[in-house]
Formats: sequence, structure tokens, C-alpha cells
Amino acid sequence: MEISLPPLLSHAIVYANVISFMTISATLTLTKTKVPNFAVATFGTIGIYISFTCIKIFGIGLYPSLIFCFLGGGVIGVIIYWLIIKPLRRRGATGEEMMIATLGLDIFLIALLNIYADFLTRSFKIMARDFTLEVYDFKAGGIDGVFIVSTLVFFLIFVSLHLIFSKTNIGIALKAVGENPSLAECEGIDTEMLYVITWFLAGALPATGGCFFPVYWIANPTTSYFVIVTVFSGCVLGGFATIYDAALGGYIVALAQTVLVSYLSDIVGLWILPYSFLVPLLTMIVTIFLFPQGIYGLPWSGLIEKWHLMIKRGGNMEG
Amino acid sequence: MIFPGIDFFLVLIIYIMIFLIITLSYNLAYGYTGIPDFGRAMAAGAGGFLCGYLPGRLMAYLMGIKEDYLGNVLIIVDKINVVLEKDPLMSIGLLVLTLILGAAAGGILGLIASLPLFRGIRLFYLGVTLLAIQISFNTIVYHWEPIIRGEFGVPVPDPFRWLGYYRPPNVAPSFMRLMGVIITSGIVLAITAYYCISVSRSPLGRLLKAIRDDERSVEALGRDVRKIYVKVMTVSYALTGMAGVLFAFYQRYVIGLNFDKVAWTFWPIAMVILGGLANNKGTVIGTIVFITLKRFIMFYKADLEFILPFSPVWLEGILLGALLMAMLIYRPRGLFPETPEIPLSREEIEKLRKRT
Repeated sequence: MEISLPPLLSHAIVYANVISFMTISATLTLTKTKVPNFAVATFGTIGIYISFTCIKIFGIGLYPSLIFCFLGGGVIGVIIYWLIIKPLRRRGATGEEMMIATLGLDIFLIALLNIYADFLTRSFKIMARDFTLEVYDFKAGGIDGVFIVSTLVFFLIFVSLHLIFSKTNIGIALKAVGENPSLAECEGIDTEMLYVITWFLAGALPATGGCFFPVYWIANPTTSYFVIVTVFSGCVLGGFATIYDAALGGYIVALAQTVLVSYLSDIVGLWILPYSFLVPLLTMIVTIFLFPQGIYGLPWSGLIEKWHLMIKRGGNMEG
Repeated sequence: MIFPGIDFFLVLIIYIMIFLIITLSYNLAYGYTGIPDFGRAMAAGAGGFLCGYLPGRLMAYLMGIKEDYLGNVLIIVDKINVVLEKDPLMSIGLLVLTLILGAAAGGILGLIASLPLFRGIRLFYLGVTLLAIQISFNTIVYHWEPIIRGEFGVPVPDPFRWLGYYRPPNVAPSFMRLMGVIITSGIVLAITAYYCISVSRSPLGRLLKAIRDDERSVEALGRDVRKIYVKVMTVSYALTGMAGVLFAFYQRYVIGLNFDKVAWTFWPIAMVILGGLANNKGTVIGTIVFITLKRFIMFYKADLEFILPFSPVWLEGILLGALLMAMLIYRPRGLFPETPEIPLSREEIEKLRKRT
């Protein structure tokens, strides 16, 4: 049976999955290791090039390459932690210094990716810039494979993270490290191992998300420039607090950007498309001015109580 | 291997002066006050893009040109340049007016950019927001053609052209023009340096450092830290706005791709960090070292192509990123670490000591 899924919905969901992988990563590094990671979107580009290499050089399929993206991104995350973050942390670098260091890392990684793209073009005679991997996708019952796989992988990873953070000792230890690393260390928690785990995830998640990106959109070493505003906006909306708010923030901003701009382009014309980043930017500004702590800071318990009260009153009135 | 000529060194001086204006003003915001400002390119762009937008239209209006400006911009700017060539007073007037307006545009942008601080957000959020606003600002200018025709750009009227017209015999017009840019940049740089040095030696400078070191203590002493942040950002952005104007006038052409975040935000950050935060001498040396290195790499790009296993275009990113990370890890206080600022000269201090 063929199901026809509107392309807009499919694109919006895939984009939301990709962005949410990145917002979760950025939130994790900030809350657990106190590092504002400005290179998070470039970690996604690393994932793009890992899957590109797997497909073009080693002949591995798009979706089997996901495992290499996850592991490769994770290993790169750990290397970055050992080479840059750990020495900075050891000398007591401030948050601002960490920010600038990750900005430097971002520039460095983009230059490296460009060099790698040059290398692929020269050595293997393949177009390693402005490519898509659409032809490597499959269709299942009229639905694009990327829609199914990205959503499944996202929810699988999200549920795994939820279980790790809420049901395991590692998750509880990570929470302790995020709140007070010195106290956690005094309690005998191996903070070093937890930082390594966090940075593994910080590299692995965006790289996994990056694998899906070139199926719908053109990719190149500077792809991160086009998604970074959306990622930041999602993080700010989430409140840089928990993985749940980060995922929700990423989803809201990415869906709003894709759907809203698409509808607006139908009304006012295609000229509006290059300005699509204004949606996440405005979301970020509105969040900062109206509720700076994002979704996380909203008085949910109060809102739920009010909601219950309203339902009760409504029920009484009816009664 | 060819050696650079005199023009290379004149252009190098211009670049150093323009970037010194930016780095000194950036040092005021980040080095002294601790504001993680990742939107500096926006301030330079405010001045630079204004330079592409306003002086040409203003001159066209004054000259009574009624044609569509952007549609005939090349012809109109040529006509304007013919007038400016023979009218030094008007050229200087246009230059000064644009510099003032560039500073105003930068200042207004600085004021707007720092407004989130009034909401009491963390400085980290400000960094994220400014970077996002800057990317958006550049994208708007690049795509919105009514400003400066986006990617095609516009020529800028040349207020230094009269120097070529009234030049002494046996001197090339291009040399006179470059000298004009150097003198103007020198004046703006002198004003900036005087202001930054005065602030660093004044009670205000000590207040800024106190805010950077412990914001809450300063607040406890009754100072409105948010207001001070906003004032610093406004002044700092205004100074950078003038640098943008100077760059646009020097180039004589502005396109939507100018004033990108790497060259106009990240490089200045690296220069300030290399030299030493809250140390004007360090900032000056950091800027000179970086700009000279960058210009030489650009000059020898073709030769480097044979030495390096990759395109030298990417060398800039590798160098900038690696240097930023290495400096922050191994020498976070820069080559010239911050020293206590002495508000008076040694002689004056000795005099006061003797008097007491």
C-alpha cells in the first residue's frame, strides 16, 4: 500500500531530527562539562563527510554508515576533549575562554573539512562539495527512507539517553557532575570518565544527525553556517538545561522554520526563502526577552495546576 | 620568489590601522569589561555597508541626478567621482560626514545588540545571540538587493581622488590616494587609541575591570552594571563602525560578502588574545603580527601552492583556529599579560609622594 506523505512534512521532520541531535549535544556539553560548544554544527558536518566517505570510497550504504558516523563522531568528540577541553579545564579556563576556544575549534575543523574535500576531489576524482546523497535513499510504501530511519534513530537514541540519565548509575553520576564536579569527585565519582562519555555523546549525536542531512539538502564543508542559528535558537528555547527541553526546543524551532517559511513562500513568493533563518533568530530573541530560561524555566507545575483547576471549574459549572 | 613592492607595505599599513581601531575597541569590550562579543563584524558592516548605501545617494541628490541609483550605480558614481576629484572640500566633508554616520550606525547597532543584557541574561547567551544576529545581518545584506545590490555590490564614491588630481609632479595618483587613506585612518586610530588609553587609566577603566572580575560585587556597591555594559558596547561598536567606513572607502567597492564573521570577528578576537587581554600595548602588537602574517600569506599564496599539500586558502582557518586554541591553553593572558594601569606618570606620582 502506498502512503503519500507531503514532502513538506517529511522535510520538516527530518530537519527537526537533525537539529535536535545537535541541540541535545550542545546542551549536554554545557550542562555536564560547562563548555559552550560553538562547534556543534560542524560536528554534524563531520558526520556528513563520514557517511560520504563510507558511501563513495568504501561502498557502504547510507544507513549502514550510520554506525560509523556515531562511532567516528564520538571518537572525534573524545579526541577534542583530550586535546583541547581537558587542558583548558585543568588550568581553570572561564566560560568565555571555553567559548572562544570552541569557536577556534570550529574554524579549524571547517578548514580541515575543506582540505579533506580537496583531497577527495584530487585523489578519488569525486565531487566532494555541493553534493546530495538522495540517490542512496530508499522508499518504503511511498515514504522516504530518510524520514523513517531518522525518526526511528532519533527516538531510539532519545529513549536510550532517557534511560541512561534516569535509570543508571552513570546518569545519576552525570547529574552530580553537572551540578557540582568537586563534590562529585569527593564522593568517589570518576569525573574524568564521565567527561569522556559526555564528549563521546557530544560528538556522536550531531555526526549521526549529519548523516541524514545530505539526503534532502546540498552539503559542503560549510554546511554548519546554515544550521547554526537554528541550533542555537533551539538550545536557547530549550533553556540549555535538560535533553528533553533541548530536543523539544530543537523540534519546535526546526519545524517552525521549515513549515512557516514554506507557507509564507506560497503567499509572498520565493524571495523569502533565503530569509528563513529569521524564524529561529526571532524565536531566540523572543525567548531571551520574554522567558530567558526557555521552556525549562516555564512554571509547568503551576500551569498544570491551573489547567486542572480550569477543568474542575468547568466540570462544576456543567454540573 | 618575488618581493613585495611599496604598494604592498602601504596597504599593509592601512590594514594594520583599520584593524587596530577594531581590536582596541574590542579590547575595551572583552578585555576590560569581559563582554564575549561575537558580533564585531556587524559593527564594521554597519559602517561599511552604510558607506555603500549613503554617500553615493547623497551626492547624487546634491548633484541633481534623478536616475535610478542602483540601476545606474556605476555611471552615477563615476559622475560623482569627477566632481569629487576637483572639490577637496566636498570630498573631505563627505568623508567626515560618512565617518560620523558610520560611527552612529555602529553605535546604534551596539545599543540594540546589548539590549538583551537588560533582561539579565548570562553573558554566554549574549555571545550566542550576537553570533546569530551577526550571521543574520550578513545574510540579509547579501540577499536584500535594495541596500547594496547584495552579491553584486556597489562602488563607493572616492573622497581621496582629489589627492591624485592635485598631486605633486612625479608622484603616482595611486600613491597619493593610499597616503590619503593612511592619514585618515591614522587620525581615526589616534582618536580611538587616545580614548582607549584614557579609559584604561581612568577610574572608569578600573570600574570596567572590576565588573569583569566580579560583576556582583560591583552591583553590591551600587553600580548599574547592565547600563555600563550597554554604554561600553555602544561606544565600542561606534569606533568599529568608523573602521568599516574606512575599509569601504579604501576598497572603493562594497559587496554583501564583505565584513564576514571570520575576518572581522574571529581574527580580531585572536589578535587581542595573542597580544594580551586588557593590555593596549599587547593588542597593538598582536594586531601587527597577525595582519602582517595574513597579508604575507595572501601575497605568497601562489608560491605556497607548490609547498603545501593543500590549497593555501584553508591555511588561514587552520592557523587562526590552531592559534586561538593554543593561546587559550598555553598562554591565556597573551604575549603581554595585563598589568596594573598607573593613572599618572611616574614623575607625577613621585611629586605627589614628596608633597605628602
